[in-house]
Amino acid sequence: MTILQAEQLTKQVAVGGDQLRILDGVDLAVERGASLAIVGASGSGKSTLLGLLAGLDQPSAGRVLLAGADLSGCDEEQRAALRERYVGFVFQSFQLLPSLTALENVALPLELRGQRNAERDAAEFLGRVGLGERLSHYPRQLSGGEQQRVALARAFACRPEVLFADEPTGNLDTVTGRAVDELLFELNQEQGTTLVLVTHEQGLAARCSAQLTLEAGRVVATR
Amino acid sequence: MIAIAVKLLLRNWRSGALRLVVGSLLLAVAVVTSVALLADRVERALTEQSATFLAADLAVRGPNPPPPVWQQWAQQQGLRASRIAAFNSMVYAGDEMHLAAVKAVDDGYPLRGEVVISEQPFSQLAADWQPSRSGPPRGQVWVDSRLLPLLDVALGDTIELGTTELTIGKVVVTEPDRGGSFSLFGARVLMHYQDLEAAAVIQPGSRVRYRFLVAGESVEVARFNQRLSAELSAGDDQHWELITPERAEASIADTVQRGRTFLLLAGSVGVILAGVALALASRQFADGQLAQVALLKCWGVGAGRVRRLYAAQLLLLALLGSAAGLLLGWLFHAALLAVLADYLPASLPAAGGQPWLVGAATGVLALVGFALPALWHLPGLPPLAVLRSDIAGSPLGAAARLAIAAAVAVALLYGYSGNLWISLALLATLAALALLIATLAVVLLRVARSAGNRLGGVWRMAAANLWRARLHSQLQMLGFAAAIALLMVMAVVRGSLIDEWRWQLADDAPNHFLVNVAPYEIEPVKALLAERNLSSAGWFSMVRGRLVEINGAPPPADLKERHESLNRELNLSWSATLPENNQLVAGDWWPADLTLGAGEPIPMSIEVELADELGLQLGDQVTFSIGGLRFSAELVNTRALRWESMTPNFYFLFPEGVLEEFPRSGITSLHIPASEKLVINDLLRRYPTVVVIELDKVISQIQSVVNQVTQGLQMMTGMILLCGVLILYAGVALSMPVRLQQSALLRTLGSSRRTVLRIQAVEFALLGGIAGLIAAIAAELALAAIVEQLFAGGAQLRPWLWLAGPLGGAALVALLGVSYSARSVGVPPLQLLRQLD
Repeated sequence: MTILQAEQLTKQVAVGGDQLRILDGVDLAVERGASLAIVGASGSGKSTLLGLLAGLDQPSAGRVLLAGADLSGCDEEQRAALRERYVGFVFQSFQLLPSLTALENVALPLELRGQRNAERDAAEFLGRVGLGERLSHYPRQLSGGEQQRVALARAFACRPEVLFADEPTGNLDTVTGRAVDELLFELNQEQGTTLVLVTHEQGLAARCSAQLTLEAGRVVATR
Repeated sequence: MIAIAVKLLLRNWRSGALRLVVGSLLLAVAVVTSVALLADRVERALTEQSATFLAADLAVRGPNPPPPVWQQWAQQQGLRASRIAAFNSMVYAGDEMHLAAVKAVDDGYPLRGEVVISEQPFSQLAADWQPSRSGPPRGQVWVDSRLLPLLDVALGDTIELGTTELTIGKVVVTEPDRGGSFSLFGARVLMHYQDLEAAAVIQPGSRVRYRFLVAGESVEVARFNQRLSAELSAGDDQHWELITPERAEASIADTVQRGRTFLLLAGSVGVILAGVALALASRQFADGQLAQVALLKCWGVGAGRVRRLYAAQLLLLALLGSAAGLLLGWLFHAALLAVLADYLPASLPAAGGQPWLVGAATGVLALVGFALPALWHLPGLPPLAVLRSDIAGSPLGAAARLAIAAAVAVALLYGYSGNLWISLALLATLAALALLIATLAVVLLRVARSAGNRLGGVWRMAAANLWRARLHSQLQMLGFAAAIALLMVMAVVRGSLIDEWRWQLADDAPNHFLVNVAPYEIEPVKALLAERNLSSAGWFSMVRGRLVEINGAPPPADLKERHESLNRELNLSWSATLPENNQLVAGDWWPADLTLGAGEPIPMSIEVELADELGLQLGDQVTFSIGGLRFSAELVNTRALRWESMTPNFYFLFPEGVLEEFPRSGITSLHIPASEKLVINDLLRRYPTVVVIELDKVISQIQSVVNQVTQGLQMMTGMILLCGVLILYAGVALSMPVRLQQSALLRTLGSSRRTVLRIQAVEFALLGGIAGLIAAIAAELALAAIVEQLFAGGAQLRPWLWLAGPLGGAALVALLGVSYSARSVGVPPLQLLRQLD
């Protein structure tokens, strides 16, 4: 069953007086529980595509269907509601809030959803990513790998249908990156999450069930 | 929702992101609250003191005994009432006699304030004094110390007053309503009202001044005032005059007014400064919230919910900050009171509810006006910002933010002053200053840039930094310069104001008036004063006459009804030159050597306020009656007087050679130290018709008020300095991320910690120096305007401002900035860069 689908997705921006086409007629479909790697050189439009698929931005043309809902027909509030229900994120720069402890960072989205026992669940997930002893540590007291593990705990604690990951290991050294990859796929399989990730790493891309290569905004290869 | 908002607020607080916001808010509320509390309590004390100048909340003055029905009315309103009769009468003891100023008071007297009495004549020691809430009992008199040697008597002896004998019970040091009125002839004899009949000193035709006093709840006093006013105007009774505490003592009222205006100015400036700090701090807070809001948006929290989350946080902040600010304000004012315990009355009246309301409203309004606009764009931040750090939403335009801040500032100032015009004028002045500062800042930044390029090295880097972020630099300079300029203006104005007060009420200011000195007595009196090394403020002659016609017709009945001066004899005097302490308002002064030809109109000068009240214009003809003889004069100029100068002042002045033929008397004022007080006795023994008016007691009362107000102002200025420092701090904090990034880069590229610090120090110093220079210019301009407006003096440059401004600004900002940013230099560059990513 297809959970995420893009049809003729196009994004243009005005640069000076010209229209710059960042994405040009991208089609794709992702089955529930599958994993898709979006690869390509810098500036090929990977992150733009991710933003459009996750409903963070609106396409200039074409449409995105998330869990059957047409995102292009939704206003920002409706897209927000869809994101809250289906979507989780992991970012290259971790995006942990520096003023919050590891526990609070993970608990925050749960609290915003009005979930009871948010902190208990957050602690449990932090335990799962091996940071059970670091609950009260602030991001600045954690290494890059540890910070990304907190981000993973935060993303999976919300049990999203689709997890979007933007270069999740891009800021990490190879060894740490590999450990984070492991964790990502482990949690992914455990929860049956659909994974859409943007990456440079061939190794990481190879672990995904499907792969889509972008070049100058166009799909040049799929696997 | 509220629970999450509380959590977010607590976490924001813990992270330090809110510290400057809360600090500014706290200070704004605390400044306003303490100023309001202080002003309210001191004002209440002063009003009570003014009430004690009257010994009542309301007095009715007239030439006849007050009708008994007034007593009943007062009782009906639940007011306390008292009667006073004052007159001059001879008192005797053996062969000695003295024309005493007798005051008969009943059991209720004084309704406000205390009579201070003593059993030790002439004692200057407060320990010998006793306050008394009543006058003498029947059969007793309390007298001025100086009456004892005059009559050669002691406490316990009796004196004769009319047909009765009364025992001297105490000496009277002061009475609350001794005041500056011209009723103080001779030595005071205070007696009981009910002894008047036995004394039989009041005969038909005797000149007696009666007063009917009431005191009580202000609402009831106002009602009584209304009832009596209605009754008096209905009965067409022109003999009675109502006196309120405000009217009781003109010079005191003037001092109170100035003190209140200055407190208001100080408080308002404090609010604006704290508001600027709050706006800067909120901008910094908003910048810090971008990441969090982007995350929330990306997790599907809608704009509406984000708005509610932040609105709830702001509301909580307003409540908590205001509550804490109120407490801090109370502590400020309590500390102030503790410091000033010696100067303030032992028990100040409690403050009303208004200061608290004003303080709390300030907290809420300040957040709405200064903090909310900075956060306004957060809910609209696109979720894509989470992926792209270059998206920062669209903050409210500068114009909109300025408009909101200005509107709230006016609302605050209005709520505080109750005067829309003062609020608007103050704000307009500040806005004009801001424009001037912004323009100057760009010019000076350009100069610094080219100078930096020539100097090279650290200087080039620092100047380039300022130039690159010139909008930011400009904003900060605006804040710095405004704070420094306001501090300068405050320092100078406060100094001048106090100097002026001190000058007006100098220790050797005249404290006695000699009136009714016959022309042939003037020289011997001068000689007597010279013998005692007392110098007078100059002698003036005066003639007493009535104003009977204006432009050939009697003054209209309603004007006559309204204006006391048309119903009594006026003091007319003459002078070849414009007297000291007089200022010409309209028209020209006559030539010193003026000689009038036959038939030529006689020129005349009138005090400007009186001229306005009487509706007199230049060129009007005014006719006077002096001892039955009439003469007319033409109004050629009007003058403003400084009543507080304590020298003889005249409403009506004529050239020399006009009034000299009429029966005239001399008047002068002089300073008589307490140790020389007995000279008055010598004077009165030798010249019994001379009238001595003792102002020393009034002056010491005024001085104590001025002392209180002065001390209050010093504390005020201290608090404003604190506000200024907070602005500097918020400004530096706001520019911190950019500075940190640069420092990290420089360190990464191999610059030493020392070099980075030097660049920062030079940059901050340049910023502060330029701001200080602008502040000096702005302060000079503002001061020129203020001096012109308030003190009617000429403009003068103050070189110390031009030195202190740039140097002080540079030192202050460099110190603040470097002490704040020094920590960043110690952090490994990689960590800094990663944090900033």
